[in-house]
Amino acid sequence: MPEHDGLMRIFWPVDIPKSESPGIIVGWRNSGLDVFVVAILEDVDAPSVENALKVGTIFRNASHPISRIFELCGQSYMHVLGLTNTPHVDIDNLQMHASTGPSLKIPQISCARASTIQIIMFDRPLPNRMQYISLSPIPLALGDKAEMSIHAPGSVDAEDEREEQENRKKTKALVEKLKLHSVIKHPASPKELALPRIVNQINCSWELHKLLQKNISLVGRRSRRSLSVSERVVESATTMRDFVIVAIWQLITLYIYPIVRRGFVIGLLCHRVAAEALLLVLEWRAKPEYAALKDISATAQQVEIRLQQFSYWPMQYVTLRKRKDDWESVTTSHPDYIRFYNSLWLVANDVIIGIALGSYIIDNSAWVAELISDILSMYSIAALQRTISWLMDWPAGLKLNTELAAFLGDLFLWVIDHWANCIEALRPVLPHIIWFIGFSSFAGASMPIALFSDMLSILTLHIYSFYMASARIFNWQYTILLSLFQLFRGKKHNVLRKRIDSCDYDLDQLLLGTILFTLLFFLLPTVVVFYLTFACSRMAIISLKAALDTLLACLNHFPLFALMLRIKDSQRLPGGIRFELRDTQHFSNSSTTAHSPPPTSYIYLKSVPLTFRAMFHQYFQLGHRIRKHYLSPRVLLCLATGKFVPPIHRKNLYSLQYSMLPARRAGIMDMWHALTSDEPKSAKSSGFDMKINGKRLNGNGRRHYGH
Amino acid sequence: MLTTTPHLRTRRPSPTTVEYIVSTAPDLTLPLRALTIFTILLRLLTGLSVILLLYSKFLQSSYSLPLTPYSSPPPLLTTDYIFHIAYNVTTSSLGTIFGRLSSRIPALFLIPTAFGLLYALSLRLHTIESLLVLRGLGIQTSSSSSTYLSSSTTRFIPTEKIQDIFINEAFRGFEVRYYLVVVVEGEESVVVVFPRLLPRRAIVEKVWRGARGCLFEGVGEKQRAKEGDTAVGKG
Repeated sequence: MPEHDGLMRIFWPVDIPKSESPGIIVGWRNSGLDVFVVAILEDVDAPSVENALKVGTIFRNASHPISRIFELCGQSYMHVLGLTNTPHVDIDNLQMHASTGPSLKIPQISCARASTIQIIMFDRPLPNRMQYISLSPIPLALGDKAEMSIHAPGSVDAEDEREEQENRKKTKALVEKLKLHSVIKHPASPKELALPRIVNQINCSWELHKLLQKNISLVGRRSRRSLSVSERVVESATTMRDFVIVAIWQLITLYIYPIVRRGFVIGLLCHRVAAEALLLVLEWRAKPEYAALKDISATAQQVEIRLQQFSYWPMQYVTLRKRKDDWESVTTSHPDYIRFYNSLWLVANDVIIGIALGSYIIDNSAWVAELISDILSMYSIAALQRTISWLMDWPAGLKLNTELAAFLGDLFLWVIDHWANCIEALRPVLPHIIWFIGFSSFAGASMPIALFSDMLSILTLHIYSFYMASARIFNWQYTILLSLFQLFRGKKHNVLRKRIDSCDYDLDQLLLGTILFTLLFFLLPTVVVFYLTFACSRMAIISLKAALDTLLACLNHFPLFALMLRIKDSQRLPGGIRFELRDTQHFSNSSTTAHSPPPTSYIYLKSVPLTFRAMFHQYFQLGHRIRKHYLSPRVLLCLATGKFVPPIHRKNLYSLQYSMLPARRAGIMDMWHALTSDEPKSAKSSGFDMKINGKRLNGNGRRHYGH
Repeated sequence: MLTTTPHLRTRRPSPTTVEYIVSTAPDLTLPLRALTIFTILLRLLTGLSVILLLYSKFLQSSYSLPLTPYSSPPPLLTTDYIFHIAYNVTTSSLGTIFGRLSSRIPALFLIPTAFGLLYALSLRLHTIESLLVLRGLGIQTSSSSSTYLSSSTTRFIPTEKIQDIFINEAFRGFEVRYYLVVVVEGEESVVVVFPRLLPRRAIVEKVWRGARGCLFEGVGEKQRAKEGDTAVGKG
């Protein structure tokens, strides 16, 4: 035996039926003294159970191949682990004696080989309710995307990226150093390595227990008397009814179902082809570094997300269907299930909200159009005009340069006048546009929001261009001032060496430079006030759009299904495991068995539900990204020097939304294969239904035998 | 008086399982018990009066429907019963005092203060942090949350993931603190045991010896022989 410390570890299900009658403990033996109890079989004797486990009679009538369970649990066969409530029977010295009963809350166990015992008790997760436990938190987002981001060189994001990479490198070096920090290497014992297997064993234990209890009658009872006449009559009557039902069912599955199914598949495929064409248009880039349509427009992005979802759903559904062909204890597809229904639910929600919103907008399209045009003309035209006239006229007692202010103000006012004419021309069309937006909201409330976001960027184009122009002017003036300041000090900027050198200027150079410096310096405040005005309005628009984008993110990605599950049944969202040490004093006092048990610790294993923080992890990440982009010192510096502040790249903003979608969508042919290869399997499953039926008949028959 | 300096408690039902609990809760004596119960009652009373104050403010606002008296008390476990109780409370002499008080205080001041007070009332008196060592499985750190509203946070680390356990020292404010650290394989940050209490060196050292002895086979046997049954007696 590799274990020399005599520690026995027993995993014991709490909800196992307790009774005082003798029974046989059956379960897995992970290593010598590391056992996992699956079931206690009563009214049978140990050799026959051993025999049944070896031959496999006890696994008969399993709905799925039992080898799958064996493979999951990492064992090739089950063992008889010991006896319950029979203290005077001699057993193998690796086996255990347990005493249980309705009065005893926890079992009392002794084993000849064990000097100490850990009893780890657990509640079996119910696989039919999709409960399970896992060592790591359930991933709600699809994790197949490598963190890759392409930035234009020299942009703010690229700089950030570089900094981040440097940080990462530093931490990596630290982690490497930490790895040296292992004083004594301990080879892992088999008990320590068994943990992942044990998790699977816990997940499988409910179904296995059910199977064993169902087949317990097969163990050691061979005699079967034949049916009496009356029983046969009843039997045949029930079979006759079932036969008719089966025949009708077969008719449906053979003739009607395939046609409907084929039609549906073809419809899906047509839809997929159309979606593919649209997606190609949306993703088309003239050159790899150019922006695609979906990067520019929120609407295009929204349409793209929906199309991607529509083309991903059939694949997801096919994967989920495969779940039916396996044991319910297999937990690999549960996150997929949650993702699938979350996205379905979100789309349904979106459409419901959209219908309400859309019908409201369509009913009141004239009023809404009036409101929007009023707001537009008030804030983007009239307010701007008033502000500019105010700036031209010594704002807040600030004596600006009148001529320059008048020039700049007239320029901007002239453009605004022109823009106002354009908006005026648009005014009769506006109700139609609003009606269109309202109509689009039948495809989901996210559509009008995205359209509104796009409309906002189009209708405030003039503010954007004002901002660009004034920022340019301000930036030029700023850089000229900087270099003239160097001249003023008798220095110059050495471009080649990137440093400040002293320089002997001629008198006329100095004189002219100083005059120009003074001139520009006194003109600076005038330019600054215009720049500040447009920068502020630009920032206001950006934050409004960011709010709309966040709303879109909520509509497209909110973990609604996961939240509901967390409240309804938190066992379905495992976030790890937790142990609790139980007090044992009063139990050891009440021991009445012949041999006193060795020191025993009772430990409770519980599943920790996923934390709310982990559920909204993506949102925190998004918030962090936005904060890093817009509130970093670099951006403030850009604002202060008049450099263009780039809006956050859509790709970064929308990584949240794409976290539910695979990095590469499945092609049309993949989908066709997935959908059609499912067909023979479904035929098999219909046959399988009949088999279940047959088994049910069998079961009925057996119940008759029992009487 | 209600809290003490962090002290260690050991539970060791079997030699291969130890739980080290560091808490600021003192040993309960009879006067202390009475005091604790008294504080709990005081908290409840304050909390209820804050809620009543908020409710009477709400009743004075234009968003609420006026309460109507019920001719006979409605059956228990219905919403009507709650309204019946609310009506009785707000029309009692105490309720009218609260109503007058709430009408004096502006809502802008009352609401944040009330919520701040409610949060303060939900704070736990004691901090309890523990380290559970299970041979063959791993170790688990747990730390009680600061409020009664949330449960404690636990972290389980399987033995095969544990690279090392050691004591480190660090500056914290103007003092040097010794703390127990678990290095987890493949993780960027280490796990600090007892992160909120950061007990004194003597405690940390004792936990470190015990945890290493209990966790790894072979090392523990010699260790336990030395440490003797002092720890067992406490459990």
